[in-house]
Amino acid sequence: MAWRNIWRNRRRTIITAASIFFALFFAIIMRSFQLGTYGHMIHQVIESYSGYLQLQSPDYFDEPGLDNAFEYDQDLLNRINSNPGVKIAVPRVESFALASIGAKTKGVLVNGIDVEKEAELSNPQKNLVHYRFLSAVMDAVYAIPELTEDQKTNLKMYENASFSSLDKIGMNCGISDETILQKIGELTAFNGSYLQASDEGVLVSDRLSKFMQLNIGDTLVLMGTGYHGASAAGLFPVRGIIKIPSPELDNKLVYMSLPRAQEFFGMENMLTTLAINLNDKSTMSEVQQELTNQLDKNAYVVKNWQEFNPVLKQSIEGDNAGGIVFAAILYVIVFFGIFGTVLMMIAERKREFGVLIAIGMKKRLLMSIVLIEMFFIGTLGTVVGMLIVSPLIYLGNKFPIRLTGETAKMYEDMGYEAVMPMATFDAYFWWQAMIVLLMVVVASYFPLKSIRKLKVIKALRA
Amino acid sequence: MKVIEIKDLVKIYNESEVKVHAVNGITLDFEQGEFAAIVGPSGSGKTTLLNMIGGLDDPTSGEVLVDGTAMSNLKGSDLTDFRLNNIGFVFQSYNLIPVLTAKENTEFVMRLQGKNSKECDARTEELLKSVGLGERMNARPAKLSGGQQQRVAVARALASKPKFVLADEPTANLDSKSTETLLDIMEKLNREENITFVFSTHDARVVNKARRVITVEDGKVISDERKNGGE
Repeated sequence: MAWRNIWRNRRRTIITAASIFFALFFAIIMRSFQLGTYGHMIHQVIESYSGYLQLQSPDYFDEPGLDNAFEYDQDLLNRINSNPGVKIAVPRVESFALASIGAKTKGVLVNGIDVEKEAELSNPQKNLVHYRFLSAVMDAVYAIPELTEDQKTNLKMYENASFSSLDKIGMNCGISDETILQKIGELTAFNGSYLQASDEGVLVSDRLSKFMQLNIGDTLVLMGTGYHGASAAGLFPVRGIIKIPSPELDNKLVYMSLPRAQEFFGMENMLTTLAINLNDKSTMSEVQQELTNQLDKNAYVVKNWQEFNPVLKQSIEGDNAGGIVFAAILYVIVFFGIFGTVLMMIAERKREFGVLIAIGMKKRLLMSIVLIEMFFIGTLGTVVGMLIVSPLIYLGNKFPIRLTGETAKMYEDMGYEAVMPMATFDAYFWWQAMIVLLMVVVASYFPLKSIRKLKVIKALRA
Repeated sequence: MKVIEIKDLVKIYNESEVKVHAVNGITLDFEQGEFAAIVGPSGSGKTTLLNMIGGLDDPTSGEVLVDGTAMSNLKGSDLTDFRLNNIGFVFQSYNLIPVLTAKENTEFVMRLQGKNSKECDARTEELLKSVGLGERMNARPAKLSGGQQQRVAVARALASKPKFVLADEPTANLDSKSTETLLDIMEKLNREENITFVFSTHDARVVNKARRVITVEDGKVISDERKNGGE
């Protein structure tokens, strides 16, 4: 009966279900973009670089510097790795130095890494530049006969850009033909190599290398202050160029092997940070607490990413709050749409309700039928909304939108890759559906209340 | 056997500051199997009287007893249950449920009584055949004429096997032929199933068929006539 009732006024039911559908559709798409972008930021900055947790000396957090480094040995590493929540602990020495080649000088961030372990966290090797669109070779590239005008225009936009793979060239320049990509690859090849475990050389970030006009095989001079004020200086052959997604880091990063960095800064067996990634990011607080309890509090402190990167946390929180307010406004508008439908339905059917109660239907049963009717309409809008939005979410997650122009520049200026991925199916997806159904139930409160208070005789006269 | 006992029934409406005595001290009885019409001009109080007999409206004073049960003692769902099991209603404008077929409308009250499908099907079929709608059982109200809808309403009123049926101006919206058919059906059901019918009406054709005619004016019974063959 409830099902048939909702189709009595087909147009009204479709309009109500459509308003629910659109609210759900836009709310899910919006939240998915938001959460996807946050996830991507966290992946870029936290999961792929800093780690969810970092072990530091207690004073390092307030005064980051080599003098606040800590002793590092296998026993410490074993204790950390024994925690089942820890996926990997990656040792690092981080400090600043002055880089120089010829007449060019620049302050750089020296990152001493365990070459093998780092492959499992930030994996610099995947960002190793293999192709560079240097002006000198681009004329030969544009001359490839198979290229379309659109592809040539795209290629021109990326002049002087660096790429780690042919796939990336193809994706950015809209080229799917393997033969063309091979030809471009041959013309633009840039053969750097990754570091060995105790390599004497360095990897230099792409923008820094361009600024310093560095090439593979060049020797970089690094000077700085080592542990406890010792002077640090050395010559480092450039093994490769790496492209860091964050433009800020891409302007100043130099990777060297951990033993070489410790030697350079005069701090054997010492680290500035131990970056820790987790098997499950939702266990971050528990693992942080467990490690804190497990280790000597005077010698070590365990910080989570929200503590050592409050800027990212606050920017996500601020944006998230804005998104929630926008979704709430959307829902309030839709709520009043549903509420209007309910009021109209009650006004139209008051006499019918009176008749039903007069001939023996209990108010409780009548209220259930009306609630089921509203639930059907709500479910109809919700299910259709979820069915239509699901493939979009899937595609948006698998093939993120790549931003271009000013927006892309803005993202990059903030240190993030200019992509807008959608979050995959998660709690937020089901929550939107729950919120819509909850709104339907709340909107049904008025008709249910009016049925409960209905005077049969008045209803029959309606 | 008295099915309905009405004792000094009064209903006063407070309209603005003027008190209107819609029913003003009526005392009446209806026996099992009566076919009675309450007549009177508009505003005489016949519909108000019928509503109070059916437990749809509360009297200001006085009492209505149905089969010995005082309606005023019943409230909320107890009163609804009592109406379901004891009283059938036929309304002036049919008031069928538009989304249900003739069969579903008829068996609706039986479903509310918790009867099983087999019982519902048998009784519904029997009733719809007896009101001449055996062939239109699956038609929705919108596909039926006014007369046919009112016949379904009569079948619905009888489906729960009530002690009596209250019909408020049942022929007011019907043409002569439909009125004649409906009255014949109700009279036949009254005779065959010994169900009490109480009508409020203006319609002379209904008055002619009724075996008891109660005339109400200004909320009072001014005459109560039983015709030959009346109980």
